[in-house]
Amino acid sequence: MATQPQSGPAPQSDAGAQKIQQLRELFADATDVGKRALENVIKELSSQVSAPPPPIESAGRVGARLGKRSELTIIVPLVPGGAKRLRTFLQLLGGNLSPGASKVGTLHDMRFVFFDNDTRLLFATSFDGDWDTYIDDFIALIPDYLDLMDSAWEGWPGIRNPGAKDYLVEHQITAEGWFVAEPDLTLAEIQRLKRTGKAVDELLDKIQ
Amino acid sequence: MSSVNESAAASEAAHESMLDLHEIQATVLRPRPAPYFGTHVLLRIDDANHGRELFRRLTPHIDSAAAWWSAKTPWLSVGISYAGLKAVGLPEDSLQSFPEAFREGMAARARQLGDTGLNDPKNWDAAYGKGEVHIGVQAFSDSEEDRRRILGVAREQLNGLSVSILAMQDFGAQPGDRNSLGYKDGIDQPAIEGSGFDPLPGQGEPIKAGEFILGYPGEAGFPLPMPQPDILGRNGTYVGFRKYQSRIGAFNRFLQAHGNTEAERELLAAKLVGRWRSGAPLVLAPDLDNPSLGADPQRNNDFNYANDLRGRQAPFGCHIRRMNPRDTKLTRLTDVKLHRLIRRGTTYGPPYDPNALSDTDDEVARGAYFLFISAKAMSTIEFLQQEWINDGNFIGIGDERDPIIGLQEEGAAFTIPKDPVRRLVRGIETFNVLRGGEYFFMPSLSALKWLAGLHQ
Repeated sequence: MATQPQSGPAPQSDAGAQKIQQLRELFADATDVGKRALENVIKELSSQVSAPPPPIESAGRVGARLGKRSELTIIVPLVPGGAKRLRTFLQLLGGNLSPGASKVGTLHDMRFVFFDNDTRLLFATSFDGDWDTYIDDFIALIPDYLDLMDSAWEGWPGIRNPGAKDYLVEHQITAEGWFVAEPDLTLAEIQRLKRTGKAVDELLDKIQ
Repeated sequence: MSSVNESAAASEAAHESMLDLHEIQATVLRPRPAPYFGTHVLLRIDDANHGRELFRRLTPHIDSAAAWWSAKTPWLSVGISYAGLKAVGLPEDSLQSFPEAFREGMAARARQLGDTGLNDPKNWDAAYGKGEVHIGVQAFSDSEEDRRRILGVAREQLNGLSVSILAMQDFGAQPGDRNSLGYKDGIDQPAIEGSGFDPLPGQGEPIKAGEFILGYPGEAGFPLPMPQPDILGRNGTYVGFRKYQSRIGAFNRFLQAHGNTEAERELLAAKLVGRWRSGAPLVLAPDLDNPSLGADPQRNNDFNYANDLRGRQAPFGCHIRRMNPRDTKLTRLTDVKLHRLIRRGTTYGPPYDPNALSDTDDEVARGAYFLFISAKAMSTIEFLQQEWINDGNFIGIGDERDPIIGLQEEGAAFTIPKDPVRRLVRGIETFNVLRGGEYFFMPSLSALKWLAGLHQ
């Protein structure tokens, strides 16, 4: 190794300075508010850009993943009456798909946002692992729940249709930014830690 | 699994099959004989015409799965890699109709398979992972004499052809039908709907044939995508071929470090797998081995985990509970039937030696070649490697990995649930190291003839 000519990325501080320079150029035609804000945070930013956090990876075919957690954002046009049906369905469940959704075991959250006069839907969720690891299991075990929700989507072929995965990929937009506070904690791990914490508390109570 | 042949009830358990058994290759459905003897041959095609000529010559000697439950040995089967299909001049649109992972090959999928570190393709035996393995021929037999004869038949077909033998490896039964870590193996196989034979007790609800053989409806109700044209895909399947080297020195040192007596070591060995070395499942024989149970195919797989919800008998992380969780409550919504493989384990090298303790013993060539067979073998193997082998999250045990075939990280541990508190056994190592692997397409007999006749 020692005899090889030096190559690879420039020293970190140079790379950092370069990125800061790039930001300043980018913000040159921003509003004064934007410019001022950039200058105010630039010191903090320079330490972050020179020592970047763990990289965001791909969550399989599409989507971003940080550690064990992936994001999925889908924007779809809705069929006429679709928004009304889906909204009423969600409201009947208190806007909350628990306990059904809890059974999936990898879903941390889900949101359904109707916009453009109920003609479009933003569906966003975060989950453990890659995008399509368990998709066949969902198709096998909860096909009707998926179709109940997705039948509001224009062109939805049905979850049992071999084209369903391609439909999802086509309508998914990978997030550019993706932050997870505890990227290594899966839902199963969180639940295990909760159980362990409770058991430790009980033990501590007993030995007092 | 020889049980099927030996069973007095065999004739009663056989039905008319809903599958084209005369088209499907024997190895897909026929259980390994007991005892078993065989050879793997890996070939490279150096001339497209000669490659097709080899298929033409070989096909009459490839056995079908007709009456697979009672068929006599020996038999030959053949698989073709993506590079092999290219090498015989399969047209481009047909090549593109194969799944992406198959086209890329096993080595290129190392990231998805978690084949890193010790298992990284750069550490594999020379023949593998370079796109040079075009054909895999398997000879199975119940005697050494027949093995030699059938292998001779296979080799004769190569005469005068520009086809190179890259590797040839004999495999065979160890005393007592044990594998290279000393366990009786190959006991639990998925039951396939319509395959013509009643499942053995404990084999579980039959799984739709389309999960294992192309052209039939799968669990989702429709057939999986099939390579085109139809004649090529139908009644074919995929094989994940993986060569493992058993590090029996490391394995024995681990048992020695955590068991003071022979009995303690054997119990620990059983906890790792979920079965005693005899094959007797811990769920049915929790405290002491029961060799007659292990040897009885009507009983040695006839269990579920309903009475072992807390893993006190078979630890959650043990090998067989991972590879077939049966009714275990999993942390994720999972249909266990979608993640099963037909396994043909073929052990090679000297038998297991409980006294082998050195690093040198780790490098004695012994281990197993596995044929993992399924109509979606690539995605199932990737799923298993990611979820059920090199992780423990699915069954609620954090980052722990399969103690037998997992790739272990520094300081890895194995949890044995126990009252009043669990036992955490540390210092588990990678006991089986991957030394090579390829994906093969195992075509129907008609597809083999069709391939032989390409460009005529």
